[in-house]
Amino acid sequence: MVSARRSLTGLLLFVGFLLSFSNSANALPAFARKYGLRCSACHEAWPMLNYFGQKFKDNGYQLMNDRDSPVWQNPSYWPVTFRMTPSWHRESTDKITYDTPGGTPGLRRLTSSGFDYGGLDILSAGTLEKNISFQIIPASDELGAFHIEAVNARLDNVFNSPWLNFKMGKFELDNLVSEKRGLTLSANGGGYNIYHFVPVGDGNIFGQIGDNQVGMEWLGHSANDRTRLSVAILSSTDGNPDLPYGSNSYSAFFTGSHAFNVGKLGTDRVGFYAMVGQAPTTYLTDSSSGVPVLLPSSGLGNKGFSREGFVGLFYFGKLDFQVVTQHGSDSKWFGAGYGDLIDGIATGNNTPGTVLPAGARNPTWNGAFVETHWVQNPQLIFFQRSEWIRMSQQAIPGTAGNFGNIDNYVFGYRYYPFMNSRAGFAWHNEYGWLKGYGLAPDGSDLTSNSLMLGFDFDF
Amino acid sequence: MPSRNPNLVITIFCVLLIAAAAIISQRRVKAAPPSGGSITGSIKLEGTPPHQRPIDMSKEPACAAVHKASPVTAETVVAGADGGLKNVVIYISDGLTGSAATEVSPENPTWDQKGCQYIPHVMALNPNEQFKVINSDPTSHNIHPTPAPGGPNHEWNKSQPAGSPPITTSWQAPEVAIHVKCNIHPWMSGYMVVVKGPYGVSGDKGSFKIENVPPGSYTLTAWQESLGTQTQKITVAAGKPATANFTFKGK
Amino acid sequence: MRTPQTILIACAMAVLALASTSSAQITEYQEQQNLGVEAHVGRLTGHAKDAEINYRRYCAGCHGNQGDGEGENAMWLDPKPRNFTLAQFKCRSTPTGSLPTDADLYDTVGRGVQSSNMPSWNPLSDQQRVDLVAYVKHFSDRWKTDKPGEAIPIPPEPAVNAERIKSGQVLFQKLECWKCHGVEGRANGPSADTLTDDQNRPIKPFNFHDQTKFKCGTADSDLYRIFMTGLDGTPMPSFADNVKPDEAWDLVFYLRTLQPQHSKEKEIAEQLGLKPINPNAAVAPAEAPAPAPAPAQNNENKPQ
Repeated sequence: MVSARRSLTGLLLFVGFLLSFSNSANALPAFARKYGLRCSACHEAWPMLNYFGQKFKDNGYQLMNDRDSPVWQNPSYWPVTFRMTPSWHRESTDKITYDTPGGTPGLRRLTSSGFDYGGLDILSAGTLEKNISFQIIPASDELGAFHIEAVNARLDNVFNSPWLNFKMGKFELDNLVSEKRGLTLSANGGGYNIYHFVPVGDGNIFGQIGDNQVGMEWLGHSANDRTRLSVAILSSTDGNPDLPYGSNSYSAFFTGSHAFNVGKLGTDRVGFYAMVGQAPTTYLTDSSSGVPVLLPSSGLGNKGFSREGFVGLFYFGKLDFQVVTQHGSDSKWFGAGYGDLIDGIATGNNTPGTVLPAGARNPTWNGAFVETHWVQNPQLIFFQRSEWIRMSQQAIPGTAGNFGNIDNYVFGYRYYPFMNSRAGFAWHNEYGWLKGYGLAPDGSDLTSNSLMLGFDFDF
Repeated sequence: MPSRNPNLVITIFCVLLIAAAAIISQRRVKAAPPSGGSITGSIKLEGTPPHQRPIDMSKEPACAAVHKASPVTAETVVAGADGGLKNVVIYISDGLTGSAATEVSPENPTWDQKGCQYIPHVMALNPNEQFKVINSDPTSHNIHPTPAPGGPNHEWNKSQPAGSPPITTSWQAPEVAIHVKCNIHPWMSGYMVVVKGPYGVSGDKGSFKIENVPPGSYTLTAWQESLGTQTQKITVAAGKPATANFTFKGK
Repeated sequence: MRTPQTILIACAMAVLALASTSSAQITEYQEQQNLGVEAHVGRLTGHAKDAEINYRRYCAGCHGNQGDGEGENAMWLDPKPRNFTLAQFKCRSTPTGSLPTDADLYDTVGRGVQSSNMPSWNPLSDQQRVDLVAYVKHFSDRWKTDKPGEAIPIPPEPAVNAERIKSGQVLFQKLECWKCHGVEGRANGPSADTLTDDQNRPIKPFNFHDQTKFKCGTADSDLYRIFMTGLDGTPMPSFADNVKPDEAWDLVFYLRTLQPQHSKEKEIAEQLGLKPINPNAAVAPAEAPAPAPAPAQNNENKPQ
């Protein structure tokens, strides 16, 4: 029974996690218009940055010439970009339970295809004044429900030092390989699994490297951006406003990297990242009205978690590899299912006196992905990504060792029929395939795949 | 701006044919030393000369003082009372043999900056002919010749404060014409005309004389800075001055 | 189940193949002639052909596919992007009228040009930048016929002192820097409003008071180089014929006192109570006795 419930939760998580990849990518023709540079100057292939774009971003959306302040712009200039991705796509999942006339649930493959459109991102970012930057991204889902994907202000180059940049608000973590700027868009290939992974049944409400988080960040970099360091202090709310989980749990995200010349091949970069933090495992309830009501913002019983790994960006002329590894560990309390809060319902509540299941251990896992790009020219890029996550220690003894493992493969290309300094347009074609071990309703492996052809544009 | 029309193209074509013939005919007489033929003539302006903008030198008191008695104007078209047109360069644009074409006159012409004007206003030169730039003013000038960008001659820009030694230099290739300006004194304007072979520059009354022209048939071109160029064919016999007159139309 | 999926993938691959061929057609670059051009900076050798894609990616939007400075952004920019086909450059270590050295171009690419839209391209690797220098050279045949000029020698920077700053101020007046840059370096000299570049477009003199960085670098030696080589294509002439190396440093020190940022020079000038020059006061004595022939020739007898 327990394992069936866990399987269902796993499936829900799995599907929810696929849907959660809103591609609020930051590619801003507003900057191209401001500075008169082509998209390709900052993007290896938009929305993915190249080193020049990375430096621009690290400087607070400034080229560091004297034209950075908005007073240099025509007064009618307004740094706003819209991005949409109308597409045709086909989704297929091999094991779906459904009701049969006999009453016993059946299991079958479900495939559907058709035209569709993603959400709408409105991206605005730039400088309020020299060395004071901002970013705001109201993003809507397909139905028009908006949320604030990012909103932050940043003090750049404090005391004229590139080592002192402070940002506060909701922002993307300083991931060298940015999911928000990822080239992959399909439902089964769009996101980076290790940026969102928590073991099946794990109650950790946080640990999401890929989601934009609320907090404060210090970023320092050398003048030419070869060396970068950053530390972010975050509320452990997974980017949600109003401190829904409690007010006393924080996380920290560290990154560091260094780039070096490799002659003809370009500039390679190696670095590390680490996230350590705490999240609640229990929430207070109040039964004075007769039924126990969960008190919002009452998260207690903070337990720890960590994610750490290496990042490498390796260039071999037209070919480049982005490698990200991860070792993750959650407290056994999360592993036993405590802490989760879905739609105001605590699925497991670590109230005083709760004992862990016998033999519960901290779940740990390892993961990695390798994304490869072949940049034929600035207008045509081929990509693939292969990603694997392997549980190394399950929280609950007796769980299959490979339960919750993930294999993910995606490949495709983007073609930019024109290249100018005003707008971006790409013809996008991608195929993604995902396998979750033991996640099918019958406990076997669940596979799904996506094929997507679309227009990705922003202006 | 000299306008290009089909007639001009045909003319050039004919000129080229004639030039070819001329080169062949020149070959025959090449054994004889140049016997010092010459071309004389005068340049006339027909019609009203364009208005010459007066120059206000009040920003440079030293120069303003020099011209207090006789205010100066721009010198884009300088015509005498009888229509004689000054500052026109007349040169052989086609038909010269190799030896005459590379002739360089022995004296070093001087380009003076005096009273915040260029003297002369127009100077003709051969390629590689050395010339001196001097500053007779008690003020700094920057001497800034601007040959056609991307061509064989290259722009340079040197400061020449009062009392500086002369700058001696030359142009390596023919070019009609190189505008010379001084950025400190935006009204200062002059032209250097670099041509192969003998040349003449019309004087106050519009007359000119080209010396040392080997006998032969030539295309003669007259260049004026704002009125453009005119050409005519001319045959120079040994020891006999040939005559060529040009008339430019006022605008 | 497999068949439609296979067909779809095959279809996708076909579209992919088509796209790549059409792209190959678009990217075919006409001008192949000079792509053998090399650039040499230090131990690095740049090859124009290796920079084709990076030029398209980073440079062509402003400088144009043909290097003529007519990229799609050119009309919106001021100052205008450089036209590489003319092979004329502002920031050189070589005398006015000559080609810059490869290292000069390399430095410009890495440094960017202040007060313009040209950013620093130092995120690119050294090799990529040298390759781009070679590519910039391939647009003009002048690099085949002419040799770059000889870099002007810059003697070691002497120690700054009050005498040098005063001597620099005398030079600032004598060389009439103020005619354009203004008596306080505020770009408001009598000729400032009339300046044009070699395309007859209006151009402003450098305002020492407003700006902290020079187009061709920020170091004292960059400043030295700027007025000794001139900025070709602009009204800024070369003073190399009239300023001796030692005097040039004096002028550098004085120019530093005009800038807003703190410097040793500024400190000394404040101690001296240095007043801006007054050229009107100087015109009277300069006119009466014929212009003193190069009074600063003799640096030991420093002018007061």
